[in-house]
Amino acid sequence: MSIIEKTAILEAKAEIGMSQIMNKNYQVYFGFIFFNLYAQKALAAGDKSDSSGGLPQLDISTWPTQLFWLLITFSIGYIIISTLVVPSISTVLENRSDKISSDVQKAKNANENAKKAFSSYEASLTEARTQAANTLANAVNEAKSDTAKREAALDKKLATNAKKAEESLAEVRKETLSSLEELSTEISQKIISDLTPVKVTKSVVKKHVSLHAKLQN
Amino acid sequence: MHSPVEQFTIKVLYSLTFLGYDISFTNSSLFMVLAVLVSSAFLYFAMRPASIIPGKVQCLAEMMYEFVANILDSNVGKEGKPYFPFIFTLFLFILFSNLLGLIPYSYTVTSQIVVTFAMAFTIFIGVTLIGLFKHGLHFFSFFVPEGAPKVLLPLIILIEVISYLIRPVSLSVRLFANMLAGHTMLKVFAGLAVMMTGAGGFLLVSSPLPLLVIVALTGLELLVAMLQAYVFTILTCMYLNDALHLH
Repeated sequence: MSIIEKTAILEAKAEIGMSQIMNKNYQVYFGFIFFNLYAQKALAAGDKSDSSGGLPQLDISTWPTQLFWLLITFSIGYIIISTLVVPSISTVLENRSDKISSDVQKAKNANENAKKAFSSYEASLTEARTQAANTLANAVNEAKSDTAKREAALDKKLATNAKKAEESLAEVRKETLSSLEELSTEISQKIISDLTPVKVTKSVVKKHVSLHAKLQN
Repeated sequence: MHSPVEQFTIKVLYSLTFLGYDISFTNSSLFMVLAVLVSSAFLYFAMRPASIIPGKVQCLAEMMYEFVANILDSNVGKEGKPYFPFIFTLFLFILFSNLLGLIPYSYTVTSQIVVTFAMAFTIFIGVTLIGLFKHGLHFFSFFVPEGAPKVLLPLIILIEVISYLIRPVSLSVRLFANMLAGHTMLKVFAGLAVMMTGAGGFLLVSSPLPLLVIVALTGLELLVAMLQAYVFTILTCMYLNDALHLH
């Protein structure tokens, strides 16, 4: 569709719209004219043409009735409005402001409660943390002391074992030494008896051997 | 042709006399009754739901109430509260009289100088009495401005007293003149339209023009009707404030 066609369609639409508006305006316009013609006829028919002049407001004879009815109607209006209307409106307005302030109070309370709950949660959280730390420290200490005890017991046991071993070693050594002495005595006696014609008693050899062993030691 | 001010003529609907005075029920009386009835019935039934969250009509009634309450509060303060029902009644009476008067073939109560003057004078007397009861003779210090040179004092006091005494006149004439002028103008343009129709030819063809002017003027008069009710109320509040607080 070319631009020219588009503009042509738009123009056609605008023309239709304009003619509708013009039609309506013509209707109003002719309505006004007919209204005027009718009013003119009606006025001409009922024309009393009382050109007495002057403002009707300045006609003093009408004042008493107006004052009287103003007093009556205004008083009744005052009574109705002060006893029925004003209380009904003011109670609604008061109720509304009460409702609003109570709602605001409720919201404040809820907020405070939430804050309290949060702080108590935080307190319990820190408490739990310290408790956990304490438990951990206790466990570590216990384990340490236990270990120390065990170590001590083990040390003791090892010490006794070592002592025992040393003792038995010493005994063995003593035994070995004594048996060695005896053996040396026997060997010496044998050697002497075999190699020499001298007859030595066992006690003399033993005496010499032990003396020698003492000297050696 | 009818005169443009003929619309203000008092027509007797039911003849009554009391102690020799003519207190007939007239078209003016009818519209006073209507103003009171329509305003109080509207407010009463609008507030009937009395809900915390107001509907459209209830909102309108509350707006009128708060509008007057704000005028009183900002001009007089807390001490003005006991006078609220009176101020509210005054506002509603003038507003509904003005608005009902805009309906074609109805009568505008406030276009009568005697009605507006009676209201203004009653307010003037009432406000002066309130001032006298509250402050005693000290009330008269109201007419002596502070810090005025002593030589000019007699002249200033005279001016102050005159300006005080002129208050009911200015208050009543303002409302009366606005209503009178507006309604007369509407009638003048209507009469012009009819006259142009009678002349025929070019004038007949252009006779809808004054009718269009009437449509525009009716909008203006709607504004004036509300504005004058507001002005009357706010001035009453200011006078009340002067009586309660003396400057």
